[in-house]
Amino acid sequence: MRIAATALFTVCVVAIAIAQTKPTNYKGLEITPLGIERAKVVSLLDCPPGQNSVHGNARGEEEFAVVKLGFKVTPAFKETVVKKPVLTDTAGKTYQTSVSIIDPGSKPAYECGFPFRVPLGTKVASVAIDTATIDIKALDK
Amino acid sequence: MEIDRRAFIASLGGTAAVAMMDSEAKADSLEHYMEEQLDEQVAANQAKEKFPTVAEIEAQIETRNYRRGVGSLFVSGRGNVKKLTPMPKNATLKDFFELRFAPANHVLQSATRAMKTGMSEEVILACLLHDCVLNLIKPDHGWWGAQLFEPYIPEKSAFAIRYHQTLRFYPDADAGYEYPDQYFRIFGEDYKPPAHIEATYKMLKNHKWYMEPRLVTVNDLYAFDPNAKVSLDPFMDIVGRHFKQPKEGLGNDNSPSAHMWRTLANPDQPL
Repeated sequence: MRIAATALFTVCVVAIAIAQTKPTNYKGLEITPLGIERAKVVSLLDCPPGQNSVHGNARGEEEFAVVKLGFKVTPAFKETVVKKPVLTDTAGKTYQTSVSIIDPGSKPAYECGFPFRVPLGTKVASVAIDTATIDIKALDK
Repeated sequence: MEIDRRAFIASLGGTAAVAMMDSEAKADSLEHYMEEQLDEQVAANQAKEKFPTVAEIEAQIETRNYRRGVGSLFVSGRGNVKKLTPMPKNATLKDFFELRFAPANHVLQSATRAMKTGMSEEVILACLLHDCVLNLIKPDHGWWGAQLFEPYIPEKSAFAIRYHQTLRFYPDADAGYEYPDQYFRIFGEDYKPPAHIEATYKMLKNHKWYMEPRLVTVNDLYAFDPNAKVSLDPFMDIVGRHFKQPKEGLGNDNSPSAHMWRTLANPDQPL
């Protein structure tokens, strides 16, 4: 039983690791794309996540592509203003998010979801934070 | 995503069934399980709140002994109003924040967010002041707010305060502004802004200062930290640089809005 559970745990860790891609370093912030979710209603939490009563409500032919990113603060990071992520779809069109990155050095590691209002079925290609571009094509199933 | 190991194993038919699977099958099963969990989470998020209609909100009017537009200083949500601390003789903006606008969490959080995201000082100041007039009066608060502060602040900040009220009704995906669901609750889900707001929006769309009020709306309502302790202190430099404090004190300087400051200072005056 214990062996099976241990093996299963290992499988979980490996599968999750496979689903993630390599981290990108931006001014000492290690940013890892974790996944993409689609939703009609999203909670607009700033990053690192706070508390918010505001939700985004997508209209008929729209949806939110929520890009989930993991952040790890390395010793090289110095507190600075970090721009909002910008999403680019496979056709090259860019999309903005209402979620901001506030106090990025306030926690050692955290995960954030960035919702982008896109036409239904839009295939996404990458997300950029200032000069750091992160390929997320593989995560968009 | 957190995995409930017991639920996952149960979904596969129990530990005996899992023991018979090779590593690849286990990995496939796990991935499939995670996808299903994600779908469930997304579906839960999509369960929309039922918002009132304009007619339902109007039907509430005669259930109250006050008008919704009354300033917060003039009515108490719970019990009787309290006696206010008198304003000092040469009252400053800081005095009004401490004695009449407090706790002012909303505007302080808004300005803090603007500061932390690198906005201009004019926009940070506008965020700090944009809803202070709600203590005096609520309808058309953008116009009233701009009028209150206009004699003392940069033109761009006054412009931002006046027109943030209009832009709140119009989402702007490029600027990262979503229509707030709080507005579905307080105006009704089928609410249409009146003609003067629509006309103002048309004017603003082509205005060279469009982004000033837009950035106030972008920083409106969002809370970055539920436990954040906000204060006026981080903004005192910006206030010092951009707010022309009258030496006679706000309300005593004979400016076009001095009477509004006096009303805020003395809301218990009967006439």
